[in-house]
Amino acid sequence: MFHYRKTIAAATLTSALIATSCTAYGASPTAGKILLGSAISLTGKYATAGHHAKTGYDFAIAKINAAGGVKIGDKTYMFEVKYYDDESTPARGGQLAERLINQDGVQYMLGPYSSGLTRAIAPVTEKYKIPMVEAEGASRSLFNKGYKYLFAVLSTSEQYLASAVALAARVAKENGKAPADVKVALAFENDPFSLDVRAGVMDDIKKHGLTVVIDDKLPRNLTDMTPTMTKIKALKPDLLVVSGHSKGAGTATRQIAEMKLSIPMVAMTHCESADLVGKYGPTADGYLCATQWAETLTYKDPIFGSASEFNTEIKKTVPAYAKKSVPYQLAQAAAAVYVFKDAFERSGSLDKDKLRDALATTDLTTFYGKVKFSDAGNNIAKPMVLRQIQGGKYNVVAPVDFASHELEWPRK
Amino acid sequence: MNTGFAKSVLYVCVLALGIFLPIIFPAYIGQMTLLWLMVIFALTWDILGGQMGYNSLGNIFFFGVGMYAAAMIQVSMYYDLAEYTSPAGGGIYEFSFSQYFTGMTVGFTVAALVSVVFAIILGRLVFGLRGPYFAIGTLAIATVAGELVSTWELVGGGGGLSLPNFPGEPSGSRTLFYSMMFLLAIATFSFLKWLYSTRFGLAINAIRDDEEKAEGMGIRTLQHKTVAWSISAFFLGIAGAIFGNFNNFIEPLEVAFPTTTFGIFMVLMVLLGGKGTLWGPVIGAVLFHIIKELTWTYLLGWQWVALGVLIVITVVYFQQGIMGWLMEKYPHWFGIRVEGAKQRLSDMMDEAAK
Repeated sequence: MFHYRKTIAAATLTSALIATSCTAYGASPTAGKILLGSAISLTGKYATAGHHAKTGYDFAIAKINAAGGVKIGDKTYMFEVKYYDDESTPARGGQLAERLINQDGVQYMLGPYSSGLTRAIAPVTEKYKIPMVEAEGASRSLFNKGYKYLFAVLSTSEQYLASAVALAARVAKENGKAPADVKVALAFENDPFSLDVRAGVMDDIKKHGLTVVIDDKLPRNLTDMTPTMTKIKALKPDLLVVSGHSKGAGTATRQIAEMKLSIPMVAMTHCESADLVGKYGPTADGYLCATQWAETLTYKDPIFGSASEFNTEIKKTVPAYAKKSVPYQLAQAAAAVYVFKDAFERSGSLDKDKLRDALATTDLTTFYGKVKFSDAGNNIAKPMVLRQIQGGKYNVVAPVDFASHELEWPRK
Repeated sequence: MNTGFAKSVLYVCVLALGIFLPIIFPAYIGQMTLLWLMVIFALTWDILGGQMGYNSLGNIFFFGVGMYAAAMIQVSMYYDLAEYTSPAGGGIYEFSFSQYFTGMTVGFTVAALVSVVFAIILGRLVFGLRGPYFAIGTLAIATVAGELVSTWELVGGGGGLSLPNFPGEPSGSRTLFYSMMFLLAIATFSFLKWLYSTRFGLAINAIRDDEEKAEGMGIRTLQHKTVAWSISAFFLGIAGAIFGNFNNFIEPLEVAFPTTTFGIFMVLMVLLGGKGTLWGPVIGAVLFHIIKELTWTYLLGWQWVALGVLIVITVVYFQQGIMGWLMEKYPHWFGIRVEGAKQRLSDMMDEAAK
């Protein structure tokens, strides 16, 4: 009987979901709805971060709609969004973008997760002249194609870990060590995002004159980094830099602890998204984490309030984040929706070309940071910050203007 | 009914559908382009898997080789490839109408040739293997190729490579790639229909049925196997080049050498439709693609589960595939005269009784 009820409940839920998606499918802007579309990674190797981004989109849409929606002239519109699962593969992303545009009538796109997927989708949105505000594709290779309809709210990836290199050089000087004696180990996933993070790190390593002792490019879907860890054990670098999305961050942390490696400074991306503090506890202490956004920053806007208010509200409304740090992937996804709202209201029209022009002149302060686009479409008004996990808390340690805590070095 | 007439009607219907469906449903042209790609995948896999009895899991290798060969040519004819693919990005790259089409023509030709050359060279290595060893050997080739290209910085490594943008209206590019894929599928089908009616077709069937005996009868098996694989490679190479341009962004593991998606789909489609037949792969590809697109739309999050169920049903209940099942159930549709056989059997029984 219990199973029978469960089946009925599941069937009802499924029908409700299908009905909801059908309603979204049929919605058009003239009915007081603005239909946004997004192909997002719900399965596959980027599923974790993809879910963060989707939560950000959904939260922002609910919040903006609750605050009265989008006001264009004397009419009010509500946001709706149509999703497809791109399965974390660029072979699928471009096709789904075509489907959203041609079959579902989407005229305004929210970005997918990762630079690779964004690179697959951007040519499609560009071809159809569909404005896309994306929040999860940071590689500079996105912004050298002359795209006119692509806008990214986040900072580009070469800035992610560059400040970690500067910190290592500074610490070396303070301890009377020449920068050339600072040994750096690099472990990067072989994908557009991480390769661009690496390019930024390499530029800074050259600038400060540090020495690279390990430079590993690792396969996708990082579940094992033992060869890199073995080299680290032998060569004892002073700084380890890792970039491999959520899986890379998790795998590196697990294996550093398993192999009992003692590295004075470890810097990586995606700490919050991989929930390093929740999953690995004190073993992740002292890690430096690149972040696009921190809840301690002082930005605020009229819809979401301050960064810390946004953080509190997410924790309250989405139980999955109640006990862990809210990842920046979620915050920037919400910011992307807000940028759309602002541009719609300034353009005073549903016309996608007018919207595109309004997006290009965006100059907005959000809870996520300032948003102002260059001609290439990347956000040039917002810096990256570097946080250190200190006693299970993420504290900003660089750049100096935003630092709330001193760097703890060496990590224990 | 006259089977010849029925066949002609069928061909005309397929051609008419291929031409008019994208005109009637222009929004679905992207999915229809992929449908023809699936048909090419299934047809080219069946040359070895169905007609010759060699189950290759690495045919996707030629798809990737064609894709990368064309992309490299298309870009390097006009720009410095290393700069174009640098992760840090360089300038802004634009291709004029004539640059785009000249690059594409040269690129597609090279893609087909390079794929064939690889088939000839690798054929020497892998055709010594039989059964599961051949399957694993070919799978290894595709997997290794994906990993090697991921580390090749000139073509962007794991970061991938964006192809030139189409210099015209979006509808133009969609029609172009649809027409290319449709024509290639028709060409592949027509060529294979002719090929299977020749001595070559009989020879590869003989290899499937008993390779030692075939060799004993004087068939040069290695030569035949290599030529058969080269034919697959030729069509797959061009298909890869078209798909790369259609997708506009290529990268090694998931677009060019996707062993776990396209690489497996081609086997599954042939099994579903019926191995060793001409129409089986086509039917399998069409059904598979429709089921896949529907589950992707209406069972979001469960699409792979649905696909798994399809595989289990095919393997457990339709081992002969749809064509095999139809041939068994309705042999007279295929010109197999069962009545005559029955008559002969009863005559023989009568003889024996006397």
